[in-house]
Amino acid sequence: MIELRGLTKRFGSFTAVDGLSFEIKTGEFFGLLGPNGAGKTTTISMLSTVLLPSSGEIFIDGTKLTRAASEQKRKLAVITQEYSMRQDMTMDEVMEYQGRLYYMPRKKIKERSDELLEFAGLQDYHRRTVRHLSGGMKRKLMICRALLIEPEILLLDEPTAGMDALSRRQMWNLLKQVNDRDMMILLTTHYIEEAEALCDRVAMINRGKLQKLDAPKALIKELGEFTVDETGETDLKSAHFASREDAIRYLEGTAEGSVLRQTTLEDVFIDVAGRKLQ
Amino acid sequence: MGILTVLWEKWVEFRRDFYKITVAAMISPLMYLIIFGLGIRVTSHGQPYIQFLVPGLVAMCTMTGSFSAIAQNMSVQRLYEKALDQVMVSPTPLWQFILGQVIGGSLRGLYAACVILVLTIPVRRGLVFNGLSFLIMLLNGMVFATLALVLSFLAKTYSDAPRFNTYIIMPMSFLCNTFFSTEEMPDGFRQVIELIPLSQASGMIRSIANGEAPGYIGFAVLAAWLAVLGTISVIFIYRKKNL
Repeated sequence: MIELRGLTKRFGSFTAVDGLSFEIKTGEFFGLLGPNGAGKTTTISMLSTVLLPSSGEIFIDGTKLTRAASEQKRKLAVITQEYSMRQDMTMDEVMEYQGRLYYMPRKKIKERSDELLEFAGLQDYHRRTVRHLSGGMKRKLMICRALLIEPEILLLDEPTAGMDALSRRQMWNLLKQVNDRDMMILLTTHYIEEAEALCDRVAMINRGKLQKLDAPKALIKELGEFTVDETGETDLKSAHFASREDAIRYLEGTAEGSVLRQTTLEDVFIDVAGRKLQ
Repeated sequence: MGILTVLWEKWVEFRRDFYKITVAAMISPLMYLIIFGLGIRVTSHGQPYIQFLVPGLVAMCTMTGSFSAIAQNMSVQRLYEKALDQVMVSPTPLWQFILGQVIGGSLRGLYAACVILVLTIPVRRGLVFNGLSFLIMLLNGMVFATLALVLSFLAKTYSDAPRFNTYIIMPMSFLCNTFFSTEEMPDGFRQVIELIPLSQASGMIRSIANGEAPGYIGFAVLAAWLAVLGTISVIFIYRKKNL
């Protein structure tokens, strides 16, 4: 279990993360959503100990996470937003370096690395240096690298950013599969439908503060399961209703072109993010 | 174990860039040898100048080789590639990562010094380089690899690494007992320069090369620098809020 207690990160006078407190349970698929600059990547960076909190603490299975906490770090693997790899290493070397950093026997590194690269369709390029890989291949390699060590907790910072629709769907399937093996996943994403499809619970943050935390369905229910979109001259307004009857009644009083639909997690996100922007 | 992982990473780097590393280690010392040893034939400090110069160049190469092996690489890994994140999140103890970098960097310095020792075989006469000389080279390399680590943790952009070379390594190369003895410097300035590790390493390697006993205070100076810089680098990697 991961527990964040009052996690805060300041850069000078700017507060990127402001007193985040929540728990992520073992085996849970947890989404961290928020607009650009909300503090998602900063939170992941503190979980991976690259950044240290200004105040607050992180606990993994009841033990405080620090840079010296090797036992806790052994459970963690991170897929960062950027391609955080030696650009001059080959795929094989990237995998071997990762395995060695986690004290894996060389035979196991080789076997598992071959298996993962094959699974990701990268085996034919295993001697190619990272510098010469496409963006999608680098992303896949980062996933292989993270899965090499069979982590208990996987931190993913926008893992599908820049991927085409098919690759993204393949990634969803892969993440579902590893989560089914009881691996805890913390995912940050811009793609709200991704969080809705994958996550057991989501936390929505804005300007570093926790705004909402619940299962996607519960958050949708809280906002209202039915939405009427009204297209105005300059903007699109949405109204949310708990019952279809209320939504229909409202729809009848709106201009032509308005539509009734099911509320999505994106509506919740826009409501949270938009409220703060106003 | 973590130390071996870092040394493996350094070996991968060395194997891949072998020719580049070797040529880079040769160029500037070779220029100095040609200009001061063969071009301007002078006698200095009671001997042919090249006899004075070679031990200084050897010490200088351990400094530049070790420093450049770490400074540029670590700055790029930390700020541009973000590859240091992979190490930070791993269970490898970070002190072992530091120690691996220091040893790896020092070995690169030692390699650069060996290249110069081979290159100068035809021109040096009767200079002695023994086990103690190599120990001093290794120690000097460790000091400058650690300095490179500290500076790369302080770097704000990856273009800072070449600046460190200009502001720190280049002045030391010329002032620290490499091209002329610190004994010829004015009081006050001399004492400061003698506290710099390269001055001590050059002095000790030169003494051994001339068949004399090295001043053992040099070991204490190098060890003190290593202890201070090593402590700072360990504090940085464990405590620096924003790596």
